[in-house]
Formats: sequence, structure tokens, C-alpha cells
Amino acid sequence: MNKERILEILDYVVKSTRADAVEAVLVGGESHLTGFANNYIHRNVGEENYELNIRVVLGKKIGASSTSDLSNDAIDAAIENAIGIAKLQKENKDFVSLPKNYPGETEFKFVSDIPDADTRASIVKVLVDESKKYGFVSSGKFEVELMQLAVKNSLGVERYMERTASTLKNIVMTDTSSGFSQDSKADYRDINVQNILEESLEVAKMAQNPVSIEPGKYEVILTPYAVEEFLSSMKYLSLSAKNIEEGTSFMKGNFGEKMFPDLITLFDDGLNDETLKMGFDFEGVPKKKVTFVENGVIGDVVYDSFYAYKEGKEPTGHSLPQPNELGAYPMNFFVGKGGSTVEDMISHVEKGLFVQRFWYTNPMEPVTLLITGMTRDGLFLIENGKITKPVKHMRFTESILNAFNNCLEISNISKIIYEDGAVTTAPYMRIKDFNFTSATEF
Amino acid sequence: MNEVIERALFTAKKLGATYADVRLIERVVEDISVSNGEVKGVKKRLTKGFGVRVIVDGAWGFFSSYRVEPLEGEHVAQVAVQIAKASARTKIEDARLAPIEIYQEKVLQPVKIDPFSVPLNKKIEFMLLLDKLMEKPGIIVRSSSMHFSKEWKTFASLEGAFIEQERIVSGAGIQAIATDGREIQVRSYPASFGGDYARKGYEFIEEMKLEDNAERISNEALMLLKAKPAPSGRMDLIIGPYQMALQLHESVGHPSELDRVLGEEASFAGTSFLTPEKLNNFQFGSKYVNIVADATVDYALGGFAYDDEGVKAKRIYLVKEGLFVGYLNSRETAQRLGLEPMGAMRADNWNRQPIIRMTSINLEPGNMTLEELIEGVQEGLLIDVNKSWSIDQKRLNFQFGTEIGYEIKNGKIQDMVKNPTYSGITYEFWRSLDGVGNDSYYHILGLPNCGKGEPMQVMEVSHGSSYARFRNVTVGVKHE
Repeated sequence: MNKERILEILDYVVKSTRADAVEAVLVGGESHLTGFANNYIHRNVGEENYELNIRVVLGKKIGASSTSDLSNDAIDAAIENAIGIAKLQKENKDFVSLPKNYPGETEFKFVSDIPDADTRASIVKVLVDESKKYGFVSSGKFEVELMQLAVKNSLGVERYMERTASTLKNIVMTDTSSGFSQDSKADYRDINVQNILEESLEVAKMAQNPVSIEPGKYEVILTPYAVEEFLSSMKYLSLSAKNIEEGTSFMKGNFGEKMFPDLITLFDDGLNDETLKMGFDFEGVPKKKVTFVENGVIGDVVYDSFYAYKEGKEPTGHSLPQPNELGAYPMNFFVGKGGSTVEDMISHVEKGLFVQRFWYTNPMEPVTLLITGMTRDGLFLIENGKITKPVKHMRFTESILNAFNNCLEISNISKIIYEDGAVTTAPYMRIKDFNFTSATEF
Repeated sequence: MNEVIERALFTAKKLGATYADVRLIERVVEDISVSNGEVKGVKKRLTKGFGVRVIVDGAWGFFSSYRVEPLEGEHVAQVAVQIAKASARTKIEDARLAPIEIYQEKVLQPVKIDPFSVPLNKKIEFMLLLDKLMEKPGIIVRSSSMHFSKEWKTFASLEGAFIEQERIVSGAGIQAIATDGREIQVRSYPASFGGDYARKGYEFIEEMKLEDNAERISNEALMLLKAKPAPSGRMDLIIGPYQMALQLHESVGHPSELDRVLGEEASFAGTSFLTPEKLNNFQFGSKYVNIVADATVDYALGGFAYDDEGVKAKRIYLVKEGLFVGYLNSRETAQRLGLEPMGAMRADNWNRQPIIRMTSINLEPGNMTLEELIEGVQEGLLIDVNKSWSIDQKRLNFQFGTEIGYEIKNGKIQDMVKNPTYSGITYEFWRSLDGVGNDSYYHILGLPNCGKGEPMQVMEVSHGSSYARFRNVTVGVKHE
């Protein structure tokens, strides 16, 4: 759908809705995923899909509806639904207003070409053909999307964004091991296919015939993939105003306090060059950089307009589509880089583990951020500064807060990890006394 | 709408598809959430669209669109064919489907109370009443949610299938979060993460008796703050039906998905330790373990009349008297292993192609009372309602936490304990089962949010169980 048609739809909704305030959000676009397993493309899918979200305000009563049917009749029905819901609602005494029109850019285009089906297949062929040469098996995906997001409300907000994103992932499996590599870029041509191939093959080869070791506390080097997965629960449990109000956040009561070592800095920045950019949120509020932790000191949280105005503050541009259970969410999360090379970090480990990836992490306790999960796709023993042997996978049970306090080094490089529509830009981290509580059979 | 389907199938065949199917879905959803005395959100969503799946040159392609128009039917089929031809560039062998009986049927789902006929203000008033009942000092968050959906799905294929199905789902849950300033404890009813769901009308919400349990869960959340921590060590475990649902889901349902077994989910969800040579040849659990995959239970969330390949709903054993005997499969994976398709291909919406999903994975009830199960435990725990879960990518090493537990000593229930956790290796754990409660405790819990696949799909599944007793299990995770 072209930009003009999108804005025309939003304009129609805002102008024809009889309410105290109205917001129209259209999000969607085109996406394709070429999935492969067992060295061939087994799942090759695509879609064109849009969702129009409407919020209507009558006093302090809010009704919301959405539709993926963008015919005139369906749009009118969605408007009527939202008004009908608002009329039947109770007043929300904490609601102040839909977001005001904040100054800033109103149009963002972070786009490049999208590879067609043949181009995607040819890139996948490079990966699977190389695995076949070794008698290994490749699985993975090449996913591409063009997202369009437009927001208009009756307070003067009107913003439009287009963004492309591509992700190439390869997992190489041998009889006794697997190796993983992934990269995401706004332009698929910036993805270094050779790097993906080499990393996944190298790890798979090195990880063959793993030995068992006893669970316990180990010094670890976590790759960016492992860091991203380890910290994923924190993003929805700890970093928003709603988390503070509900008491799940470790930040509550600790603003301005030094809780972690100097090398820990965490922030969200939608316009940083090292992320997949977003210019504004799903309420049309421009993205602000928010620093959660700066050199170990607790900073700020993210706000949607509801929680911001409730507290007499300004929204930070982190709202998800409303209404939602999370409120605000960091869509462009960063773990600040350090000053070490990865080679140096490994060389500093007397006895420890190199963790390629974590998997299926889950929070056991929200305030201390006690997390459990498994290692996956590469786990190696480090002895006297060198990676020596592959190890069978283990379960960890560790608190993110402890891990930050035990962080010894952070790499001077980081990587974009794009999962479920949100981005984490993470470095390697060296952490002591990381707790592994059991092992598995492979 | 039929013209869209006809044009899509005709175009696919004209362009060389040896197989093609179309799924057209129109779905309306209503979600209501109330928290701390305020209505946090009320939203009604309509989604409508269709997807075309084809085999061309022996390889799969799928494309979908929100524009339900005849010309779009042709366009979507054309793009699906192009995608399939690109897939064929890496083909090793042609995709083949096991034969099935072809049906034409329209299936309605009768309910007692259409959930969309219940006035919104009545639902909101009820949820605010529940909120008031949960309100107590120390309860920092009181929340309740309701979810309703009504869907009309049309499936048609070049083989002549034409199946229309109505699907109505109702769900609700309440939760109380207590804090003493140092820690948080949570209690949910009837289950965590949104409650319970079923293919029923609003009568399901009334049957839950939420109002009779609201005050209780607040009290229990506050009591948990003062309770002693659950012990660590090895002891016997009696697990209630709501946690058994997660145990079945993670350690039985997922590893028996044949696409995982054959490596097709290795990129994301993982593989499975239940490799093909284990079929009919592997002692998964003790003789008391009888687990079915049953899509025929008429109200279960994981049930339906036909799956998304037009296969009629079936009930099969996955584990019979402890022996591993069955997989969840598709026409293609069934053909590869010489099995009969059992109807487990499901897509979460029109814009996704179907993949192998759970139906209703149920542990058949035994013949013991809860008292008998407890009397047989010298030292152990009684636990229920899931709080956390994690398992490795082959579905072996797992760890679960529950909201609440009680110590058992010398065959009697003792003190409440907080933060109970347990872990194990899947088949070792199921082999330690030596008692299953009778059907008076049996409950099928609807789980609305099983995630699998790339792109991600969120599926409605269900799990039935009674209480079950396991011997000599590792409890506590020694994370201190």
C-alpha cells in the first residue's frame, strides 16, 4: 500500500469519528521467510497484511478496535465498535490524554530493496551446499520485511515510517554437535553471508564429541547471542514505568543509586546507527534515548503516554500498540560496549566456559531477575586462556543482577540481534561465578 | 468468498501446482483487562484474509493476503507458485503427501451463551467485582482478563476438499500479586498466564466460579510471603492438574511433533530425543503412563473437527502403558514414515501456513484418590499452577516452578511452601510416575499461547490431567 493511501485511511478515521479524541494507527506491509532444514528449503512463505488500530476517547473512557479488512464498510464498523466500547466503558481516572504532537521529524524511511524469492533461494543454497560438502546438515531462515507504520490523532500527530529488515540465520548440525550464526541488517546486501557460514561451520566442527563436566559456578564468556537471550526477560519485567508501579522492577527505589560496576551501561536508542532504526512509537511519539543504567548507576525507565501523563512527565516514545499489557517496551535495547577484544577476554580466563548461545530462558523471580535456561549450539571449556574442548550442554540458574555485578569485561564490538520485532545490540561479556545447576545428555 | 477460493485454486493448477489448498479465515476477537480497579483495556479486533499453499516442481510455496477479492486470489496463487519454484532450487526429493479421505462439510459449534451477545458492561461490572474481592493490604496488583473469539474458516483443496468450520473460544483468569517490599508472590485462578480457555460460550466463564476464588488467591499470595522456602533435595512429588498441563506440554507434546523429530524445526524450536527408531520401541514412562493426542473432545481448546489439511479429528495414543507409540504428524511427515495422517496440521491464522501442532495432549486418569496419593508419600511436596518453565532443545532437561506448594510428611499435608521448583530428564521423570488420580480431579486446561515456528505462530492447545505422583524427583535448584 502506498503512503498516500495509508494516510488517506488515517485521515478518514480521524475526521469521521465523533469523539473527544481519536487515534488511528496503521501498521503492516510485506514479509517473506525462506526457511530451510535438512539442507533444503522446506518452508517458503510470504504475506501482505495490514492492521488498522483505532482508539476513541469519550471523556475518560477509552474504546479500541482493529481490523485487517480495509474496505470502507469494515473501517466504518471498526469506528463504530470503538465508539460503542468507549460508551460502555468505565472511566479510567488515571487517563489524561492521547499524546500531544511533539516536535520532530514526521517522516522516516529506512529502506532498501527486498530480495525476491530467487535471490533468497540462491543465498540459502550457498549455505546448504557448503554443509553438504562436509556431510553436515543446515537449517535456518532468510527473513525479509518491509514494515510501514503510520499514526494520526486528533491532537495533530501525524507520522509515517517505512523500514526494511533482513535476517539470515544458519545452524549447522553434525551427528554430535551444532553451531549457530545469525545477522540482521536493514539492507540484506550488508549481511556478510561468508561470516555466517564460517561462524556456524566453525562452531559445529569444534563442538563435535562433547564431554561431560560437572555443573557448578564457572567464569563465562557470553557471545552477543547469549547476552541477548539472557537479558530478554529484563526488557519486559524491569524497564518501564508500569514495571515500577507493579513492583516487578529492581530499579524501584534505586534511581540514582550505583548498583553495578562502572562497565555496565544499558540504554534504548531508536535512532542509533547500530540498531534497526525506529523514528517514533505506536502512538506517534518521537523516540528519545533512555538510559536505564549508566556506568552502574540506575537511570530512567521508558514511558508510554498513559504512564507519563499519570506521573506528570513526557512520554519517551516507547509505546507498543495500545491497549496492551506491557505499556512501554524498549524496542532498540543496547548493552553498552567495553574496551576489550574478544581474543583478550578469552585469554584472561583461567578456567571457564565459552557460551555460544542460551535457549528457552524463563524468569523464576522478577525482582532479582533470577533466570533459568539452557545452553545451545556450542559450549566450550576455556583453560588457561584457550578454548580447549567442547562440553555437553548445561542448564543455568542465575540472577541478571548478580551477573552484572560479576561482570569483569565487555567487548569493544557488538551485534544486532533482531527477534520478535524488537532489537538488542549486544557485546560479548565476561562474567565470573555464573551458576550452572544441571546438565543434559548432548 | 468462494470466488476467491476458486480463482486461487484454478490459477495454482494452471501454473503447474500438483497440490494446492486455500484457507480463508474471518475472525473477531474481544479482549478485556481490568487491573487495580481500572479498566485497562477493551479491544475488539477483526482479522480477515486468506492463504494459498502449493506444491510446484516438488517443492512448497505459500503466500497470503488481507485483500479478500477474486483478482487477489489469482495474484496470491501466482506468488505462491513463484515461491515454490524458488524453493525447488534446493530440493532433494519431491514433497509427497500421504493420501487421506476427502470431505465436504460445514461444521457449526453450538454454545449455550454466545459470548458476543453478553453486553460489555456486564462483563466489565463482573471483572470490577472480582477486583474488589481481591483487594487487600499488601496486594500490589490485582488483575483479571477475559478473551473471546469467533471464527469462520473455509478450507478447500485441488483434491476436492471443501470444509467450513465455526470456532468459538472463551477464556478468563484472575491474578493477585503480593509484596512485602522485599519479594513478590503470585497466585492465579484458575491457572496462570491468562487463566483457562475452552471452545465454549460465556457459560465457561460462569462455570469457573471466579467470584468464589478471588479472595482466596489474594489470601494465598499474602500467605506465601510468610511461608518458608520450598526444600531442596530428592523427594516424592504430587503434581496438580494445572502444572501437569505444562509438564505434558513441554515434555510430551513438543517432543512428539514429527516435524521436530525429522529436523524441520532445528532452526528455532529444536529437535527431539524421540527419534524414529524409538517408535514402539522405547519405554517413555512407567506402566501407569497413558497419554493421548485427542482432537475429538468437543470443548477442549486443542480440538477441532478437521485440521488445516482437511484431515478429520482423531484420538491416538502417544504413550500407552509407558511405551512410546505415536507421533503428532502431517500428511507429508506421515508419508515419510509410512504412518497414517492423524490430523495435527494447524495454522494460527490465514497468514501462516500450517505446521504440526499439539491438539489436546491428555494423561488418562487413574484410579487413586488424592488422599491415597498423599498417604503414600513419606517426604515430598504437593505442588500446582505453573510459574516458570524451561527445557532443552531436544526436550530432555527440564525445570519448572509453581506458584504454591505444600510439604508432605508421613502421608499428611503440612506447611505451605513458596517458590517450589523441580527438574529432571524427561523419560527418567515419567518412568518415576507410580500413581494417577481418578477422573474426579481430571481437568482439561486450555493453553492459548503455544509458540512455535518461523515465522512465529501462537496456537491454542489443551492438556487434560488429574493429580500425578512421581518418586524421587530433584526439587529445588540450589541457585543460592
